[in-house]
Amino acid sequence: MTRQLTDRPRAVVEAKPAATPRARWSARTRRDFFVFLALALPNLLLIAVFTYLPLFNNIYYSTLDWTLGSASATVVGLDNYVTFFTSSDATKVLGTTAIFTLVTVGGSMVLGLLVALALNSRIRGTTFARSAVFAPYVLSGVGVGLVWLFIFDPGYGVLAWLLRGLGQQSPQWINDPQLSLVMVMIVYVWKNLGYCAVVYLAGLQSLPQDVMEAASLDGANGFKRFVTMSLPLLSPTTFFLLITTMLSSLQAFDLIRIMTPLGNGTSTLIYEAYLQAFGAFNRAGYSAAISVILFAILLIITVLQLRFVERKVHYS
Amino acid sequence: MALNLDRRHFLGLAGAGAGAAALSACGGPSTAGPAPATAAADIDFSGVKPAASIDFWSNHPGKSQDVEKAIIEKFHAKFPEIKVNLVTAGANYEEIAQKFQTSQAAKSGLPGLVVLSDVWWFRYYSNGNIIALDSLIKQLDVKVDDFQKSLIADYQYEDKQWALPYGRSTPLFYYNKDHFKAAGLPDRAPKTWQEFAEWAPKLKASSGAQYAYIYPALAGYAGWTLQNNLWGWGGSWSDEWKFNCDSAESVAALQWAQDSIFKDKWAGVSSKEAADDFAAGITSSTISSTGSLLGVLKSAKFNVGVGYLPGGPKNESPVCPTGGAGLGIPSGVSKEVQLAAATFLKFMTEPENTAQFSAATGYMPTRTSADMTAVLAATPQIKTAMDQLAVTRVQDNARVFLPGADQEMAKSAAAILTQQGDVQATMTALKATLEGIYTKDVKPKLKS
Repeated sequence: MTRQLTDRPRAVVEAKPAATPRARWSARTRRDFFVFLALALPNLLLIAVFTYLPLFNNIYYSTLDWTLGSASATVVGLDNYVTFFTSSDATKVLGTTAIFTLVTVGGSMVLGLLVALALNSRIRGTTFARSAVFAPYVLSGVGVGLVWLFIFDPGYGVLAWLLRGLGQQSPQWINDPQLSLVMVMIVYVWKNLGYCAVVYLAGLQSLPQDVMEAASLDGANGFKRFVTMSLPLLSPTTFFLLITTMLSSLQAFDLIRIMTPLGNGTSTLIYEAYLQAFGAFNRAGYSAAISVILFAILLIITVLQLRFVERKVHYS
Repeated sequence: MALNLDRRHFLGLAGAGAGAAALSACGGPSTAGPAPATAAADIDFSGVKPAASIDFWSNHPGKSQDVEKAIIEKFHAKFPEIKVNLVTAGANYEEIAQKFQTSQAAKSGLPGLVVLSDVWWFRYYSNGNIIALDSLIKQLDVKVDDFQKSLIADYQYEDKQWALPYGRSTPLFYYNKDHFKAAGLPDRAPKTWQEFAEWAPKLKASSGAQYAYIYPALAGYAGWTLQNNLWGWGGSWSDEWKFNCDSAESVAALQWAQDSIFKDKWAGVSSKEAADDFAAGITSSTISSTGSLLGVLKSAKFNVGVGYLPGGPKNESPVCPTGGAGLGIPSGVSKEVQLAAATFLKFMTEPENTAQFSAATGYMPTRTSADMTAVLAATPQIKTAMDQLAVTRVQDNARVFLPGADQEMAKSAAAILTQQGDVQATMTALKATLEGIYTKDVKPKLKS
């Protein structure tokens, strides 16, 4: 007679007397615990010091009326939050943040997918094209911003030169607040679409070929296969990209700082927090409140995505 | 009591502990009471020995890093017991201010001497970040009377001296002599903007440049140079603490500026640095700092002329603001460091060294006894900047004393000069913003 292997451990456990708390804290457990401490404590300490300490400090500062550089401050409770939400700043900053996030996330993902589809085809030069598409993503944002500033310069930029060739004046990309936002979004999408393209490409290459071939045999053309088969099967990739690109878009800083230092028209939540504290105003408490609002928004978006968007994802 | 500590509980405890530690360890400012008095009593430096080493934070105004190094070498030869470390603390006045104030908040890493611009020193004063220099001036026998009066007076408040002038400038009118000649115009700056408006179409037609005139970049210091237009028309950003940027005169001045771009189409707005645009030949004329003079003369491939700023229909003079930076000593460093810094500050602003600095950058010499003969022989254009100093006007309070006002002015200028926004509405909105800043950030700190 053979017994199932899974029965054995249960039998062993049942044969033992019930463990008392003291017995559970045995020498071996204690040793395991200390090993665990030795391994985990340094990391936990680093996380506590460099993540939670600033986080809690920031929440504390958000309750102060504090001018950066001043040795004293006044506790004002939630006044900084009330000031933000009752001022015209809130509409402007939240609106800019929403536009920037939607356009850059949407743009990077849609263009990234299209590029990935092109790179997935069996034509010559795709290896080079993959590297070329991904390269901007690993470049320094500061360098990218400076180069694109030269391109957009209405005086002697390449774009202005091309437009003059067509008898047109260059728009005021840098001075006009609305065009500044468009300019920064274009550069942001250019820089980040390579990331989406590479991740989508990996997703496309891992699609089950037998399913795709079966669809093809059933008469589905390329577009239909893409819409009804590839896109749903790519949903885990899309979900992953949606979270990561949205988080990085909401935290975009370097390009905005380099290309539009005043933040005129490009002041997203994170850049407004920077400007309020380290720009000309030095309102450190107010800036901290904006940072907390951004933190709350990021938290809510992530939770919502995990709870609701993930339900639409097909993992197989 | 049994200890039932599995990993999950441990992580929870660790998280809670970190949170508690974080809350209890909150540093930052004191909330115990009002700020310490900024106008601290004169510090007694008798018996204090200068520190052996100090940091000097500079943004090297006017590309002055080399001349700053040269002056520091001279200082080391004269005072071998004090070492000065030149630190590039930012690319402009705002970046250096950011670093300085962050160090104040961190309560560490402060320099002995720091460059502070016209719009920042008062904030440092009101936050108690810099010391009054009076006792050091007395102890080191700094010849205050020899400084240009208008320049040293800029840093006086409550009968105390809070900084000494360093890279001081005014805006200058730069013009392309070759373009002016080709257009049949006199070889001089226009006396008024109305006169220039008559010249501009001829200039644009004959020069081949994109613009007859380019307004300085708005992200730079639009609030500084636009005072010229406002004052010429009889307006201003503010009169003392009365904010009159929405007055009929101010609106008329900015309406004229807007028309020069959109209606008459002979002017443009610089995107980065008007002096660079001018040197590149994009425009026939511009207004830029005297600190850009040497750079323009080096890079321009045409004959450069400079002149006083043009007047307007109401005022021909004075319509030129002073500007630039001074040097201050932080309050958060030791007396030894402060004394060493003051020793270097005295040396840096001596007539010979201010002349050397002026020769290398185009900034004005801050001492009346500075021998500028050799400098003017090499760069005669500096004479125009020096002479213009006699017809300068103290800047509007709104620009120099209100935190963030310069940026708000730049945003309003962008709305008017690049988006063709309604001038009256834009200025009315700016007035409300300036009043808000004054009420919240400045009025409570002013001595009654």
